[in-house]
Amino acid sequence: MDPRLRRRASRLVMFLILCVVVVIMLFPFVLMIVTSLRSKDQYIAGSGFSLDSWQQLFVQMPVFQQLLNSSLVTAGGVALILVVSTTGGYAFSKLTFKGSGLVFLAILSGMMVPVQSIIIPVYVDIVNVAKAHVDVLGLDFAVNQVFGINKLLSAIVVYAALGAPFATYLMTTYYRGIPTELVEASVMDGASYWQIFRRVMLPLAIPAITTVAVLQVIQIWDDLLVGLLFLQTPAVRTITVGLAVLQNGRVVSIPLLMAGSLVSALPAIIVYLIFQRNLIQGLTMGVNK
Amino acid sequence: MAFALPVIILELALLAIPIGQAVYYSFTRWDGIQSTWIGTANYQRLFGDPNFWRVVLNNVILLAAVPFAILIPLLVAYLLNEHVLGWRFFRSAYFLPTAISWVVIGMVAIRVFAVEGILNHLLAAIGLNIQTDLLSGEYSAMVAVAITFIWSVFGTNTIIFITGMATLDREVYEAARVDGASGFTTFRKITIPLLMRFVQFAFILTLITAFTALFSLIFIMTGGGPGFGSTTLEFYVYQQGFTVGAFGYAAAIGIVLFVVVFGISLAQLRLFRSRLD
Repeated sequence: MDPRLRRRASRLVMFLILCVVVVIMLFPFVLMIVTSLRSKDQYIAGSGFSLDSWQQLFVQMPVFQQLLNSSLVTAGGVALILVVSTTGGYAFSKLTFKGSGLVFLAILSGMMVPVQSIIIPVYVDIVNVAKAHVDVLGLDFAVNQVFGINKLLSAIVVYAALGAPFATYLMTTYYRGIPTELVEASVMDGASYWQIFRRVMLPLAIPAITTVAVLQVIQIWDDLLVGLLFLQTPAVRTITVGLAVLQNGRVVSIPLLMAGSLVSALPAIIVYLIFQRNLIQGLTMGVNK
Repeated sequence: MAFALPVIILELALLAIPIGQAVYYSFTRWDGIQSTWIGTANYQRLFGDPNFWRVVLNNVILLAAVPFAILIPLLVAYLLNEHVLGWRFFRSAYFLPTAISWVVIGMVAIRVFAVEGILNHLLAAIGLNIQTDLLSGEYSAMVAVAITFIWSVFGTNTIIFITGMATLDREVYEAARVDGASGFTTFRKITIPLLMRFVQFAFILTLITAFTALFSLIFIMTGGGPGFGSTTLEFYVYQQGFTVGAFGYAAAIGIVLFVVVFGISLAQLRLFRSRLD
């Protein structure tokens, strides 16, 4: 056979294989969309379309409240992670202090701690801390008004603690790539470390900050376990938790669950579509170092 | 030093101290309020607990799924790297499920594996007269979870391998082609060895995901059942802790999981180092 023809044929086969894989990877989305557009009866019959299940979803589940909860928890968690990882990364890369290498290693090893290994003590600790009363300007203040089980803040700090080690690692390696001379020159000009951080380091780190933020948004938005334990009442549940609870409940309308799945997945998909590049960078950063 | 304090305080309070507490409480009987020191009783009970060994077996099944979760993406990445028509679209499409929660993936997976599900429809469509019911089988439920897991990490691993292949020298391939090597031979003899670093990274990431990130998937798909048929170590911690209320016992299981994951990570680091030297 003509080698050029053979090459063409082999490329065609490759193309076809890749097409099959696309079908396998995208089929769940099609399934969710098609199924959600049917009522329970239409689903059983296998024909007809309606918006019945979508209407039902908003009746059965406080969708907007839970989307808001998810947004607040995600925004809070990501904000906290960014604060501690940019400052931490700056310290570990440019302001090394005695023992900073060891502390950095200790924080990195946090990446290897499975959440299940610590979740029980964390849960009990948070319950206990929430029982405390503190004296604020002479007024008695019960901690459980803002912090504790069923308070968004408790989920936020737990997410932050889980995400911060990898974020700090990413920020530190990124800052290491920025010439130290830049910091030294600014010190000569009389800038404080805080000023250097705000005016030089933060603006330069925007790409790394975006990567960290995108990775964490998806991570926190999609999580179930922490939300399940710390946000138990319907009013504070995130959309992912709400969906899981709906599935475990008595309602077994599959189209309804598919509609809920789509609503919960959509924000993360949008973030993915916009920031695909940053996500890929973050994922592959581990190998290139 | 001051700049490092926020992250240090956060990790100390919510990671370092809790892991210390978990170790301590694993030697106690604990209901969340009162704890009594009982020495190694939890661990003795654990290693004599037939359910625990059943759970470990499930982790072994996941371990057996990891090679598939590496090899399939490796092959597909190889094809993508040939830059056939539409490869950018393919790449984006493959990676898309990465954005979706395990809860949603689990919901869809149930529809695939159910008796009236898509898998059985497909089997019927190609003329195979087999009724599968993976989710209700004591061993097959775990297989269904493992297949779903392989599907879920496919995108991530493919991206890792494409990144790796982009770093390879095109000339090596041209030389191989001139020498008359077939596509498969170049893949086996050139691509895989040169990609070893990326394969290792993907392997460790996939394994840790398998052992520590599948809680939600199992929660949705099977609830750990039937029986302990799809309960993994991480799920067992949740079950014993928050369903049974045996916090001390659950802490001990959590420590076993921690040792396993930490051990794997350290072994990996070692391997990495020795290869670089």
